[in-house]
Amino acid sequence: MAIDLLYGLLAEHLLVVLLLVLMLLEMLKAGGPRAAAVLGVLVLVAGCAVLLRQYSQGYAVDLVPEEIRIDRFTVLAKLVILACGLLFSVTFAASATCKSVFLVCASLLGALLVMDSAGFISLFIGIEMLSLPAFALMVRGAGATVASEAAFKYLLLSSIATALILFGIAFAYGSSGTLSIGAFAHAAAAGSSQDVAGTVLVASGLFLKAAVFPFHGWAPDAYGGAALPVTSFLASIVKGTVFLTLVRIFGNVALDSATASSIALLAVLSIFYGNFAAIQQRTFKKLLAYSSIAHAGYMLFAFVDVTGHRMDDLLWYVFIYAVAVISACASFSILCPRERDDVQSLDGAFRSHPAAALVFGAALLSLAGLPPLPGFFAKLLVFRSVIASGYLGLASIAFIGSFIGITYYLSLFFRLFAASSQSVEVESNRSETR
Amino acid sequence: MLESTIPLLLPGLPTLGAIAIGLLPANLPHGRCAMPRVCALVVMLAVLALVVRIFLYDSPAETALLDFNLPWMPSLGINLHLGVDGCNFYLVLLSALLFPVVLGCTWNAAESRRPLYLALMLLLQASLLGMFLSQNLVLLFVFWEAVLIPISVLIFVFGGERRRQAATAFFLYTLAGSVLLLAAVIALGVACLRQTGAWSFELNVLLGTRLDWGMQLFVFTAIMLACAVKCPLVPFHSWLPLAYSEAPASASALMAGALSKMGAFGMLKLAVPFAPDAALASAPYIVCVAVASILYGAILALRQENYKLLVAYSSLSHMGYIVLGIFSFQQTSLHGSMLQMLSHGIAVAGLFLLLGAVEQRMGRTYAQVHALAVATPRLAVVLMLFVLTSLALPLTSGFTAEFLILFGAFTQGLNAWHAHEGPLLIVVALLASTGIVVGAAYMLRFARAIMFGKAADTMPLRDLCPREMVSLAPLLLLILWIGIAPTAIMDKARSVASQLSGTAAVAAQHLSALASATADTAGTHGD
Repeated sequence: MAIDLLYGLLAEHLLVVLLLVLMLLEMLKAGGPRAAAVLGVLVLVAGCAVLLRQYSQGYAVDLVPEEIRIDRFTVLAKLVILACGLLFSVTFAASATCKSVFLVCASLLGALLVMDSAGFISLFIGIEMLSLPAFALMVRGAGATVASEAAFKYLLLSSIATALILFGIAFAYGSSGTLSIGAFAHAAAAGSSQDVAGTVLVASGLFLKAAVFPFHGWAPDAYGGAALPVTSFLASIVKGTVFLTLVRIFGNVALDSATASSIALLAVLSIFYGNFAAIQQRTFKKLLAYSSIAHAGYMLFAFVDVTGHRMDDLLWYVFIYAVAVISACASFSILCPRERDDVQSLDGAFRSHPAAALVFGAALLSLAGLPPLPGFFAKLLVFRSVIASGYLGLASIAFIGSFIGITYYLSLFFRLFAASSQSVEVESNRSETR
Repeated sequence: MLESTIPLLLPGLPTLGAIAIGLLPANLPHGRCAMPRVCALVVMLAVLALVVRIFLYDSPAETALLDFNLPWMPSLGINLHLGVDGCNFYLVLLSALLFPVVLGCTWNAAESRRPLYLALMLLLQASLLGMFLSQNLVLLFVFWEAVLIPISVLIFVFGGERRRQAATAFFLYTLAGSVLLLAAVIALGVACLRQTGAWSFELNVLLGTRLDWGMQLFVFTAIMLACAVKCPLVPFHSWLPLAYSEAPASASALMAGALSKMGAFGMLKLAVPFAPDAALASAPYIVCVAVASILYGAILALRQENYKLLVAYSSLSHMGYIVLGIFSFQQTSLHGSMLQMLSHGIAVAGLFLLLGAVEQRMGRTYAQVHALAVATPRLAVVLMLFVLTSLALPLTSGFTAEFLILFGAFTQGLNAWHAHEGPLLIVVALLASTGIVVGAAYMLRFARAIMFGKAADTMPLRDLCPREMVSLAPLLLLILWIGIAPTAIMDKARSVASQLSGTAAVAAQHLSALASATADTAGTHGD
């Protein structure tokens, strides 16, 4: 058993050791930001390697009955989270400091703990550990008043979400007498009134954390006020983990039709609202916020699935979405240095930084869901499950919503190739002298 | 072994070429600045050589070997399945032929020196070939939408004054048409799942599933909407004038020549085989829309002063013939449509390329050019040949194709009239024939305006240089060959045409059986 405790949670142990080492380094004022970033990347690589080995072995163990269980979904979800965390650390290594690496890794540790959980206590601890470092990350960095206002909004609404989740857990405990997540999921599908109340509260709390319509109000301000690396972390890993939390809770259990219909309705509303609102945005971070509301809608749509593909669809979707967001933000920071946020600074970027512009363009088109990029296949998986579960009409409406979303991604993409005014004059001179 | 990799090489080589050009260093020394262009031309000629080799295969057994199937996502039933069959053969030939011709004609244009332009052309060729060769529905959809990205960037970066609106309008309009197409694709997969118990998007597996009437109607509507915007057909043609006139000449040639055929190909390969009952029931309406396209495009072309817009509207008109041929469901007219796809693709590409050559020589004032027959006789002769193909003069490919379409439509119309199903198809065929007369009118008016008249006293134009003559020669040869001795080319697609008309005949029997069954039950209830 002890070996299982060590090996099963090896990734978490490595992260804990890293956190202690970073704290020591900070206290002793030894090492610099470079050392912290390198350590972080090494530990994340080691964690991914451990998880890959666990996946290839088909490792599954019940560590603490009804509280911590490792199964196939756990290993895959942890792998997705750590891989995205690794990508994030590598691409934003230049702006990392000892404290920011510490906070990011603490957040990742919380995410891993959620994926291990089979009972509500560890789930709750994990969710809190996921969100708390994000507040601190948001306060550091860009201008003090703007950033702290954004952090305060995030803190307030995240606390409300936590309260809702706790209340829902209390209802669930009251009706089923156990804190196990499996029993909760089955009771939710069965649906007595106390179970329904518990389900609705827990789901609402998690939807609030994930910024699904109509719980989305905090997202644009919070994402817009933070620095770009923090925004990309929030939009990719934190949001993805919240959805994976929902998958952890509900598993592949088919929801009853009333719940499923209301979830489908919320999803379609999110898609439409996020895409419509993003069209008018002139700054990149707010545009990312609204587009993440739309993507939350796509991810939520997968929950109406009754064919048992929900876990795989969402694992793929979260991975592809998080990679696209992190790549987009990283290349945007190269194309528009010095914290300039307006989209006009993208004009003509392909001429000056072709490689970064291509990565940015590919990430945008992946978020838009255009073939042949991976984002299309992520959407294909989700919509395949939805249509196979019988929601053809709502899926068609969601397709129309996603088409509306393509407009703003397209305008950003075209800006990369727009000629700056200088080169236009050269072209017209050349054609006149021909 | 080698034969089965040819369908993979056809889209694969241009993709590799595009990546190679992207990796070439940006600022080449002066002696090497033709290297990207040479690299692109070599890749395009290699693809053309492979296609010519396919053409030389005579027996169906050998063509059946040209099939590449690699399981990609087995749980979803998505395979990397590319194959040459009678349906896509002409279009593969068209896609392989047009690109080196276009590059050869625009070799000295400013845009050809930029690696971005060459990489985009190669990616466009890869996506086009991938789409025509796909035998898996999701793969086909991936390539269908993937075509949009290179062509829009080409229009956006290298186009005329209103290129930004043109590129955005083209992209969004075409994408709007295919919004429901993805829903139809997934719905077909779900139907296959319900009937066979496993996901599969392979075309031959999906053709075996039986769809009920509601699902057929949904699938047919979705596919037809996407194809109608792509062709385009009236009333979904609003993107046509802006996109064709603002795009650079090479992009217009490729759009009109190859991309518009994607729409007709979709109708032929997807709409009719998957939903035969719905196709048969909506054939009268679609045939009316087709003839409306023919006449509307012809009348608008008749009053055009802008040469590019004139050719664009003529393209709209000719696509109407192709759709008319498909939805007459007669073997001759189906074969005629496939041939018209090839013939019209060549002719309209040639027209746009020559207009582009004139624009390259004269700059923005090309719209006022006339008396080319005096200034540039070789260019005038070649232009006249393309004009004659466009107006379907006998001994050109345009005549072969349009004659087959109208012959098939008339035959089917007479059959329908004798079977007391109304004179609609005959009337439609008559109107389409008048479209040929109007076509002659605007084409000859175009030829008179641009080639004849008083010689201008501006500085003389350079005639077609040998490089451009060599580039355009294959198009002219193909036009004359199909016009004079079409049997060799027509044999390649004969089996597919009979198969498709057979499907429609079976569907017709099915529908009439249904109709008589409901009439019987109504009769017995009434008694």
